[in-house]
Amino acid sequence: MNFLLEGFFQAFNLLLSGNPETYSAIWATVKVSSYSIGCSLLMGIPLGFCLGYFDFRGKKPLRTIVDTMMALPTVFIGLLVYAFLTHRGPLGNFGLLFTLPGIAIGQTILALPIVIGLSATAVESMDQKLRVTIMSMGANRRQLFLSSLWESRHGILAGAIAAYGRVMTEVGISMMVGGNIKWHTRTITTAIALETNKGQFGMGVALGLVLLAIAFGVNVSVSFLRRRD
Amino acid sequence: MDTPIYEIRSLTHSYAGKTVLAIEHLAVEPASIVGLIGPNGSGKSTLLRLLGLIQRPTQGKIHFNGCLVEPFSDDARFLITLLPQEPSLMKRNVFNNVSYGLKLRGNGRGVADRVNEALSLVGLTGKDFARRPWYALSGGEAQRVALAARLALKPKVLLLDEPTASVDAASAQLIKEASLRARQELGTTLMVASHDWQWLYEICDEIIHLFKGRIFGTGRETIIFGPWQKLGTKKWGKILSDRQQLCVPEPPDKEAAAVIDVLSVNEDGSAPADEGIVLSGTVSRLSLERKTGQLFATILVGDLPFTVRLTPQQTREHTIFPGKTLSIRYRLDQIKWS
Repeated sequence: MNFLLEGFFQAFNLLLSGNPETYSAIWATVKVSSYSIGCSLLMGIPLGFCLGYFDFRGKKPLRTIVDTMMALPTVFIGLLVYAFLTHRGPLGNFGLLFTLPGIAIGQTILALPIVIGLSATAVESMDQKLRVTIMSMGANRRQLFLSSLWESRHGILAGAIAAYGRVMTEVGISMMVGGNIKWHTRTITTAIALETNKGQFGMGVALGLVLLAIAFGVNVSVSFLRRRD
Repeated sequence: MDTPIYEIRSLTHSYAGKTVLAIEHLAVEPASIVGLIGPNGSGKSTLLRLLGLIQRPTQGKIHFNGCLVEPFSDDARFLITLLPQEPSLMKRNVFNNVSYGLKLRGNGRGVADRVNEALSLVGLTGKDFARRPWYALSGGEAQRVALAARLALKPKVLLLDEPTASVDAASAQLIKEASLRARQELGTTLMVASHDWQWLYEICDEIIHLFKGRIFGTGRETIIFGPWQKLGTKKWGKILSDRQQLCVPEPPDKEAAAVIDVLSVNEDGSAPADEGIVLSGTVSRLSLERKTGQLFATILVGDLPFTVRLTPQQTREHTIFPGKTLSIRYRLDQIKWS
């Protein structure tokens, strides 16, 4: 077990000394996950709200599809995105393969169903009496929509955190679409996989600690926001 | 006569194809207090939701101040407010709950004063409650905050659906007083659905009795629900808990409701004035109808309450008080079925 302990010491050393390779992977991860979570929240919250709020024909099958897509395997998404972005693929001209935006596309596909599904659940579980309350106070349609969205914020936030966690920790898409290129598309998770294969536990543990720290930071911020209510 | 604040004609509302409300005509005078009474499922809450422009009726139109209105109507949405039976507070603190409607109206100035004023109307202080989150309120406090949120809007119409049903006596008293102050100080039209008949008869200018979704008299009728049983050849009725027989003509179906008009009351043991069915019961409640000044007695026959309008002569002749035993008389040929 000594190698694990040594790994921890080495991890602190790498982080405190500002090791460029470590920080490159951290920066790539933060950048690509910010793109993907931003896109999936922008698209997913309105879509999830509509899916949960309105009754329409085909709602149930659509819900089943969204729920199924919440469990999409990352390697499968990686494979599909690779197929689309490769030179022979329909989006090959954009030159997005082995780039951070390419990974972000894949991660958006990963996060979007989670945001849609959990937002829809949050809105569906919103107290139906709340609609009467909001309308009885004189809200117009737009105010009713926005107030309902605000009232389901805690559930939507939980969905966003779940999606962010999935994006931050995935390996399949980053590896297949990004190619794990040092200084360019190497993310925390692909770096951990590589360094572990090389027997470099220190760097792996260092990057793992950073992942934990980011997750901790996000959750503390969310708890703070919730407490402010 | 003023234009009615509400006028509805030929209105029906259905849920899943089942008609739950069918009102031929209803007009409500401005600044009046209208009580809605009726058993559970009679359509009181549905009528209030339609008048509160929360739902659109399946058929028929609602006129408010002479204008045709529907949910989200700009002519009416800032003037009408409904306090539902189980109001839901928004996930905000008390101040933001009470000020929500004011902010929707763009009333930026003086919001804090109006919130404090509304809270004090329902017996809460801004100092103690304004910053309290929605989850830190008792049921009675939440109901009062919900009412304060409506009163802060100074509405033209305040619709109250069972406002005191699930609160303690002290909260109920505060809610009643605050509602009446809105009418006294602002000329607000009040429509109140409640099972507290005594309160309604004290405060209301008009009582509407809803039964199976239809307007059914003034609520002073005695309605006895089925099931009915055969008591002999061509004889139908019920055996009451005190073994008396409540006789009725043959019902249209076993579950039908009988509307019984009590013709007279007599001192127990005295001979009835003429033919009819006579039953003995105990006075359980006396109530005064404010508008007409008439006294009503609720007489328990077995477990069934019969409502009897007391004439001044009857009031003078019999010293009537709760607990006194009286005989009531009704005629079979005057029973109606619903």
